[in-house]
Amino acid sequence: MKNTNMNRRTFLKVTTVAGGGLLVGCSFSSPKLLSTPQASEEELGMWIRISTDNKITLIVPSSEMGQQAHTGQAMLVAEELEADWNSIKVVTAQVHPEYMISGDQDTGGSGSIRDWWDKLRQVGAGTREMLITAAARKWGVPVTECQAVNGRIQHTASGRSLSYGQLASAATKLSPPDSPTLKTPDQYRLLGKSLPKIHTPTKVNGVAEFGIDVRRPGMLFAAVSQSPVFGGQVKSYDEAAAKAVKGVEAVVPIPNGVAVVADSTWHAKQGLEALKPQFEGGDSAGLDSAKVTARLSTALDELGKVEVTAEKVLDVEYEMPYLHHATMEPMNCTAHVSTDSCKIWVPTQSQTETLKAAMEVTGFSEDQIQIHTTLLGGGFGRRLLPDFVTQAVTVSKVLQKPVQVVWSREEDTQHGYYRPTSMSRFQVGLGGDSKPVQWENQVAQPNFLAQIVPPLDWFNFDPLAVVASVHDYTIFPKHFYKVEGVEMTHTGVEFGVPVGPWRSPPNSLNVFYTESVMDELAHLAEIDPLDYRLKFLGESPKHRSVLEQVAKQAGWGNPLPEGHGHGIAINDWFGLDEDTSVVAEVAEVSVSKRGKLKVHRVDCVIDCGFAVNPDSVKAQLEGSIVMGMSAALFEQITLDDGRIAESNFDDYRIARLRDTPEINVSIVKSDENPTGAGEPGISPIVPAITNAIFAITGKRLRRMPIGRQKLV
Amino acid sequence: MTELKINGKNRLVDVESDTPLLWAIRDTVGLTGTKYGCGIQQCGACTVLIGKRPVRSCGITVGEVAGKDITTIEGLSEDSKHPVQLAWIEEQVPQCGYCQSGQIMAAVSLLERKPNPTDQEIDRGMLNLCRCGTYPRVRKAIHRASDLLKEVS
Repeated sequence: MKNTNMNRRTFLKVTTVAGGGLLVGCSFSSPKLLSTPQASEEELGMWIRISTDNKITLIVPSSEMGQQAHTGQAMLVAEELEADWNSIKVVTAQVHPEYMISGDQDTGGSGSIRDWWDKLRQVGAGTREMLITAAARKWGVPVTECQAVNGRIQHTASGRSLSYGQLASAATKLSPPDSPTLKTPDQYRLLGKSLPKIHTPTKVNGVAEFGIDVRRPGMLFAAVSQSPVFGGQVKSYDEAAAKAVKGVEAVVPIPNGVAVVADSTWHAKQGLEALKPQFEGGDSAGLDSAKVTARLSTALDELGKVEVTAEKVLDVEYEMPYLHHATMEPMNCTAHVSTDSCKIWVPTQSQTETLKAAMEVTGFSEDQIQIHTTLLGGGFGRRLLPDFVTQAVTVSKVLQKPVQVVWSREEDTQHGYYRPTSMSRFQVGLGGDSKPVQWENQVAQPNFLAQIVPPLDWFNFDPLAVVASVHDYTIFPKHFYKVEGVEMTHTGVEFGVPVGPWRSPPNSLNVFYTESVMDELAHLAEIDPLDYRLKFLGESPKHRSVLEQVAKQAGWGNPLPEGHGHGIAINDWFGLDEDTSVVAEVAEVSVSKRGKLKVHRVDCVIDCGFAVNPDSVKAQLEGSIVMGMSAALFEQITLDDGRIAESNFDDYRIARLRDTPEINVSIVKSDENPTGAGEPGISPIVPAITNAIFAITGKRLRRMPIGRQKLV
Repeated sequence: MTELKINGKNRLVDVESDTPLLWAIRDTVGLTGTKYGCGIQQCGACTVLIGKRPVRSCGITVGEVAGKDITTIEGLSEDSKHPVQLAWIEEQVPQCGYCQSGQIMAAVSLLERKPNPTDQEIDRGMLNLCRCGTYPRVRKAIHRASDLLKEVS
């Protein structure tokens, strides 16, 4: 296995905790960072805290939102530390540069294992070596005669052993190793095993604490209403009526809206109802979904249609809707601002954005703000944004009391950062060998990265239109399908509707396009869709092998019952990385004579490098397939009179158990570095389903969701 | 003041009788295992048992359930050893876990009515939403719990 980050040395720093335990901190880049004399015990115990009674707390950089980052990251440390897995507790770190990658502390991009693979193992290994040295000195024997085994250091020759808790104090007096020796895979005791997820016990008895479960002494509850037209302002409200409601304590303005604060959630909700806030103005005023489609279409026309001359020509347009994250736990945040400090308890994917939002509202410096990350009731990208943090801190700043802001499901649905809508036109001419001689592709969609990186707007450049597409942009690596004659253009279209990252931002759009078009071309060329794809994978052996393996697993080409069909699709994630996860899926679907659709079975093969916890990888793929299928079958956010038309789960329908097919996930055995498993599986299921529908009915679906579109 | 019988204990709650049971459980009694998801009885995250019946606690008022036996996730067992909880652990069902209290309560009730449910009966009986997509494991865990319940009895 490669150790790509070994050139970045890990500097460990240790000290004694009051009572004699061991605190281990470290710095990855600068030995100075943690060696300042002022560093507090808290800071020094940034990664590992070992108490004298052998309890081990691991402080991990990632938020836990169901992807099992806590379990996986704890396994990386515990493997090298040789810790007793049953003695381990895991918490998400406070905000600090040590937990940042490229200046940000956030959880996304399927990176919790991929990005921390080397570093967390080094932290564990360095600590293990110190514990061994401490024991060896105590016994007066060479370190080579001592071994770390399951939370104890043993001296086999004399039969002596000491627990980590007993050695912790002595270990703090040692100089930490600069380059600890990592285990080789044959020495793994935990890595590669399907250990039970660390939070499962508290998630089956109601004890797990999510953001909405935070309770602080004297805490008040706030309900909020924001302008339904994006960017609109509050025009008026009836404050007296709200305050007349029992338990209501205050009405506080927030950006684009207003909060009612009370002694319970229910009183706050009733107060908000009595408040009857009215709004005016806004960026999306007057917008509806028909206008969105028309403007995307106009934007494509402005990019210009190209003349394609070939024996066989495909000329098609695809469209994808806005999508909502719809996390089961609505957006919420608890904040307590006082004259000189701000404490925050929040289910967030971005401690960095939380910190920035709190600094902006309070004017405080970084060291006056404390961020406690709770468990997240789903994230999927929505919780990378800090809008709900701004609200809680704003309200608490006014009241100087702990306040919990919890959004209603309606607020949550109508104030998202949606997966952008998008339109893509393909004109492809096939040559004599059935391969494209000309591949023209134009894309029009809102450019959400431009909100974060303004120069992208100035240059009208949207990397998310390009990545995971077959393209000819030289600054990005080429697509795994090697296609000739490609010309791709794109343009941003701004609607005033907030857009953001939705579980695999570029791929959730572009893989539907690419994998549908490949299927269309296969049909045009009268070649089996699997065989056709393989023609373009000559330089991508990993993709080829994953695709072949999933086809074999699904029984591709075998006869199916009448009305049933197979569809296939492939994806890699993330297209800009040197090593990507590759995943392929086959959906077995049926369409009845009356047009009723059912997804019966999905086969999935993933190569994500070494699988640290295979069962967690499987769970991520199962979940991705269900969520992707849900989007394909049901989901769309529409606009009416400048506002989101959907409001709750009755009109933003998501998949239920009865919609769920049999799912078979296989993981390719690999000793390469882990490459991520949270997102790759969600994109290919959409075209796999629509390609299967085509195989059965001959009807090509080029607009999502499938919804009520007629299939026969 | 209303007297609620939650998890076998009588609790006097100082809320108006039209307060949804969900908010009385969470904010007044302080049992936060029961979750808010939608407020309109669509998602099932707030499912509790009234007697043996699964009820979405966001859609029923404190006044309507006064004196009735209410069971929340915290009251399902002392030690997380209810067969449904054991099956949930065996199959490693939860991902984010937010909907799982409701899923488990719904499953307990389904197994009361159908001790040996078919896949189709599970499909019909389990209408709770899960955004993480744990449904395949929910299905497996209900079959497993059905076996465990038989071993117990």
